[in-house]
Amino acid sequence: MRSTGAIVLATMVLFSSGARAQETNLTVPIIAPITGLLALEGTSQLNGANLAIAHAPAGLKIKSVTVDSGTAADGGANALERVAGEKNVDFVVAPLFGTQVLAMLPGALDYKMPLLAPTGTGPVTEQGNPYMFRLYPHDAISKAAHIRYVVDELKLKKAAILYNTTGYGQSGFKYMSEYLAKAGGEVVFSEGIDLSAKEISATLAKLKAAKPDVVLIQMHSASIAMVVKQLAAANIQIHVVGNTTIAMPATAALLQPSELKGVCAESASWLEKGASSATDRFLDDYTAKFSAMPDAYAIQQYDGLMMALTAVKNGAKSAEDVRKYMSSSEYRGVAMTYKSDGKGNLAHSVVIVCYDGASLTPKLVKRYDDVAGF
Amino acid sequence: MLQLLVNTFALGAAYSLLAIGFVLVLNATGAVNLAHGSFVVVGGFLSASLGTMLKLPGAVVLPVVLAGMMLVGGALALIAYYPLRNRSAVSVFISTISMSAILETSTLLVFGPAPRVGPPVLTAGSVELGLATLNVQSLATIVLAIAIVGAQYFVLSRTVLGKRLRAVAEDREMARALGMNVNAMIFVTFGIAAALAGAAGLMFANTFYITPGDGEGYMIKTYVAATMGGWGSLRGAIAGAFLVAAFEVLVPSLPLMLPAMVDALPSFQAAFSPTASTIWLYLAFLVVLFFRPQGLFGEAVQQRA
Repeated sequence: MRSTGAIVLATMVLFSSGARAQETNLTVPIIAPITGLLALEGTSQLNGANLAIAHAPAGLKIKSVTVDSGTAADGGANALERVAGEKNVDFVVAPLFGTQVLAMLPGALDYKMPLLAPTGTGPVTEQGNPYMFRLYPHDAISKAAHIRYVVDELKLKKAAILYNTTGYGQSGFKYMSEYLAKAGGEVVFSEGIDLSAKEISATLAKLKAAKPDVVLIQMHSASIAMVVKQLAAANIQIHVVGNTTIAMPATAALLQPSELKGVCAESASWLEKGASSATDRFLDDYTAKFSAMPDAYAIQQYDGLMMALTAVKNGAKSAEDVRKYMSSSEYRGVAMTYKSDGKGNLAHSVVIVCYDGASLTPKLVKRYDDVAGF
Repeated sequence: MLQLLVNTFALGAAYSLLAIGFVLVLNATGAVNLAHGSFVVVGGFLSASLGTMLKLPGAVVLPVVLAGMMLVGGALALIAYYPLRNRSAVSVFISTISMSAILETSTLLVFGPAPRVGPPVLTAGSVELGLATLNVQSLATIVLAIAIVGAQYFVLSRTVLGKRLRAVAEDREMARALGMNVNAMIFVTFGIAAALAGAAGLMFANTFYITPGDGEGYMIKTYVAATMGGWGSLRGAIAGAFLVAAFEVLVPSLPLMLPAMVDALPSFQAAFSPTASTIWLYLAFLVVLFFRPQGLFGEAVQQRA
C-alpha cells in the first residue's frame, strides 16, 4: 500500500515537473488609468484584463504588472518606458485613453512592442504604426452607427453635440458632425467641455436655446453622467444619444433611472447569457470576481488580451510573432470576431442600447455588424 | 436666465463656505492651509457614503458630516500645524500639502477611485417658476449655505467661543497674554474650517460627483476667491467666491445673453466658451493682483504663502 502511494506520488511529481517544463513564461504589463477622472473606465479595463489572465490558455505562466497611467497625457508613455524592457514582455495592454496611447506610439515603434488598447480615438490607428492594435471600434465606425441610428431610426437631424476636449471627445465630435452633414442633418450647437469641468449650466442653457431635436454626446464617464444629470435637473427633454460610457453600469450607478429615461448609447458590445458557453463563463466569472456587470471596455479588453494570449499559446515566441498574429489572424471573442483591417483596427461591430427609465440596465435596440463609414 | 442666476448663487454660496474656512485658518495661524481642498473630498465621500447607507437627504446627514469633519480638521491641526507652529509659515504650507496628499490617498484607498454621488440636499427634480425651471438642488444649496454661514456668523459674533476665536485671529500673542488657550482655539478653528468645507463637499457631491482627486481644483478656486476678495477678509472671501462662480456660470453664458455680439463677432462664442472662461478668470485674478493686491475687500497686505 505504501509502495503504491509512493508510485502515485512519484508519477504526480514527474507529470507536474513535465508540465512545468512546457510552461511558457510571460509578463503582461497592464497600463490603465485606474485613478483620476478616467478611473471608472480604467477600472473596467483592468478588470477585463485581469479576467483574461485568469482565463489564460493552459500552459502559460503569466506574471501581470499593473501600472496606473492616471490622466496625464504622458502617463502611458512613461509607464511603457518602465515596463517594455522587462523580461518576457511580448505585448503591452495600453490605456483606453486615446490621448495617452498617441503618446505611446513612438515608444512602441522603438521597442517594437505591440500595444493592445480598447480606445475609440480615431488617430491612434492612423499613424501608420504596425504595433498598434485597437480593441474598440474606431470612432469612424462607431460614430457611423451612432449617426445612422439617430437619422434612420429616430428620424432626427438637428443635433447639438457635447464632447470632452480630450482626443477621444474631439475624435467623436469630428466624425459625428461630418457624418451628420453627409446624412442631411445639421449641428445647431456644439461645445467642448474640459474633463475637469463641473459647472456646465451655461452650456446647457445655450444648448436649449439652439433648439436641437437630439443631443449627441462623446464624453468620458464622469462628464457624461454629469451632463445627463444636469439635463434632467434642468428639465431639458430632448433625445440623448451618447457614446459607450453612458452604457457602462458604473456610470449608470451615478444616476437615477428617471434621469436616464430615453437616453440611448452606442457601444461596442452587448452580452446576454446563453449566447455561448464562453459568454456565460465570462459573465459568471466577471460578476463573481468584481461584483459588477462588465461594460464594453472590460469585454473588449478581455477579448483583445485573450487574442494575444492565444497567439503566445499558438507558438508566438517574441513581440514580433505576436504582432504578426494580431495583424493576420481572425479571433472569435465573447463579444465579436476580431480581425485587423490592415491598420490595427480589430473590432467592427457596434450596438445601440437604450434606457427605459425604470432600470439602470439598458436594453439592446439595434446591432450593426461590419459597419462602414459614411 | 433665472436658472443661470440661481446656479451662480448656488455655486457662489458653496464656494463661500470653502473660502470662509480657508480665511478663518489663515487669520488664526497666519499660514495657508493647502489641505483645504481635500476637506471637500473627505466631506463629499462621507456624505456620499452616509447617503447611500441611510437613504436620507443631505440636509439630514449634514450634522454627522459636520461633526466628522470637525474631527478631521482637528486632527490636521494636531499633525500638520502644532509641531510646526513656531517655525516659518512656509513649513506649515508644506506640511499641509503633505496632509492633502495623505487625505486624498486615504480616501482613494478606502473608497476606491470611482466617482461617488452624494445625496441631494433635499430632493432631486425641478420646480416651475413662471417660464423658468429651477433646479431644487441649487435652491436648497443656497438656503443651506446661508443657514450655515448665518450659524457661523452667530458663533463668531455672539458667543464667548466666537469672541475668543476672533481674538486669537486678530492677535495670538495678546490673546495668550490674556490667558486664552490659543492652541485650543486654533484646534477649533481648523475644525470649523473643515466642517464648512465638508458641507460644501456634501453640496458638490450630488450635482458634480466627487472623486479622490478633486481636492486640487477646489483648493485653487478657494485660493483665488480668498485672494481676489481680500486676503484675510471674511467679507472678501464671500465676494471672491461669488466672483469665481460668476466666471464659471455667467461669463460662458455671455453669447446667450448678447446674441447681437455673436452675430457681429464670429469669434465671440469661442471667446466665451466654458474653457475660455477659465482664462478670463485667471486674467481677472492677475489684474486684481497687479492693481489691488489687497483684494477687493482687503485689509493689510500679508504674505500669500
